[in-house]
Amino acid sequence: MTVKAIRLAQQDNVATLLSDALKHQAVDVIDDKNRLVGRYQALQAIPFGNKMALHAIASGQPVSKAGHAIGVAISAIPAGELVHVQNVRSQRLDIPPAIIGQIIDQMRIETE
Amino acid sequence: MKQEFQGYRRPNGQVGIRNHILIIAIDECAEGIAQAVRQQVSECVIVTNHYTCMYAGNEELVNIMTGAALNPNVAGVLLLNMGCGSIDPTLIATPIEQAGKPVRRLSIIRNKGTRQSIRDGVALAKELVALAATIPIAPVALSELLVGVKCGGSDTSSGIASNPAVGRAVDALVDAGASCVAGELIELIGCESILRQRAVSPAVADKLERLIQEEEQRWHVPGTEVETMSIGNSVGGLTTLEEKALGALHKTGTRPIQDVLRITPQGIETPKAPGMYLSETTHLCGGSGMHFAALGTQVILWTTGGAGFSNPIVPVIRVSGNALLITEDIDVDVSGIMSATQSVEQAAGDVLDCLGRVIDGEQTAIEEVGFAYCSLYQKDQRLETLIHAQPV
Repeated sequence: MTVKAIRLAQQDNVATLLSDALKHQAVDVIDDKNRLVGRYQALQAIPFGNKMALHAIASGQPVSKAGHAIGVAISAIPAGELVHVQNVRSQRLDIPPAIIGQIIDQMRIETE
Repeated sequence: MKQEFQGYRRPNGQVGIRNHILIIAIDECAEGIAQAVRQQVSECVIVTNHYTCMYAGNEELVNIMTGAALNPNVAGVLLLNMGCGSIDPTLIATPIEQAGKPVRRLSIIRNKGTRQSIRDGVALAKELVALAATIPIAPVALSELLVGVKCGGSDTSSGIASNPAVGRAVDALVDAGASCVAGELIELIGCESILRQRAVSPAVADKLERLIQEEEQRWHVPGTEVETMSIGNSVGGLTTLEEKALGALHKTGTRPIQDVLRITPQGIETPKAPGMYLSETTHLCGGSGMHFAALGTQVILWTTGGAGFSNPIVPVIRVSGNALLITEDIDVDVSGIMSATQSVEQAAGDVLDCLGRVIDGEQTAIEEVGFAYCSLYQKDQRLETLIHAQPV
């Protein structure tokens, strides 16, 4: 079965996974009206509720979800990659580095 | 969207969707007596001041108790106090009397103690129930409805399913002439620029920003730092505080923000015109329920992963998008959004249908269970001084 992800606003550069995606698995991205807007390949495992890049996001570029910036990319993020604490930072109140480490460990996020 | 609901008109013109008798235990030591009365008069709901029986510095709390008594879902009020505390029941009774609402008082020490007070309390409560029974129920315009909006027990599904669904329902309600009020300013840290654009005036925008900043300060005094992002939030998929806040913001819809309502030692700010409002409601569920009661909301829309917050005065409609946590406690199941089988619009329609039934008298999923705990919450006045919170 194809994994689905939802893009909450048209200008978003991420979509939220509606179930777990395995590495290299195909992900159908839908919009908030249930219309298919594209098929992507997950470059790494992305758990349910997490975000996948829909376009290449350059380092320093805002990450947009539901029409608003939720943070800034701290490295180049290719389309299909997990967008999360390992490659995004808050512009308002950062999570302490030790906690980020714990999140990466707990989620077994693949980082180069 | 329906244009009317079934309501009980109060002497001051407000309209309730329930016809409760409220017992207020002004001092925590009167709680047992309040419960004993309720055991014999099941139409009663109870609010207990668990905070303190002392007055000084607790004006905000007294205002919330008074506001709760004035809530339009309340038909009559029985005030219980022990008699040795310093909160004078007259402070609460007077505004209720001025609103034309029946109020009875019982001071336990003066009334020869616990058993006699229970007997007399039962008689007074029954008298209030009989008075309430004479109030007719009649169709009322939707413009008389004030809906509280709150999230709690949030998880990954909240920002994607229940909050957006409720947000669209809120927009539809405002468009139909009703009013809504959402709170939890601490959950909106990072949303200031969006909220500024939604504010009806620069003055409201400034007030909003200042109040969010004060709430941030209040919860981040060194040594008492609150967890704004938990590891669980992040493992669930939230990357930044902004993302969490934007998820919470969804439930407020998109309509212009008329004002930020405050409950302060000086009084309670209530909506002056129909529309969308924010309030200073705490993010802590129990306290927020009482805050919404004091603001005069008749019903609360509550988005959740799968928990079950309730309030005895204001019915709470629970909306969840987490298929694994849907139980008989959940009123509206919007998990179809998560499985991509239901659109946000369809889910908003389900929320409005349920709201329509509840404001016409149908009980919420756990309303008939009757008991719900009620916390009176107030800002610590010492902390207010410490952070130099701006007085009203």
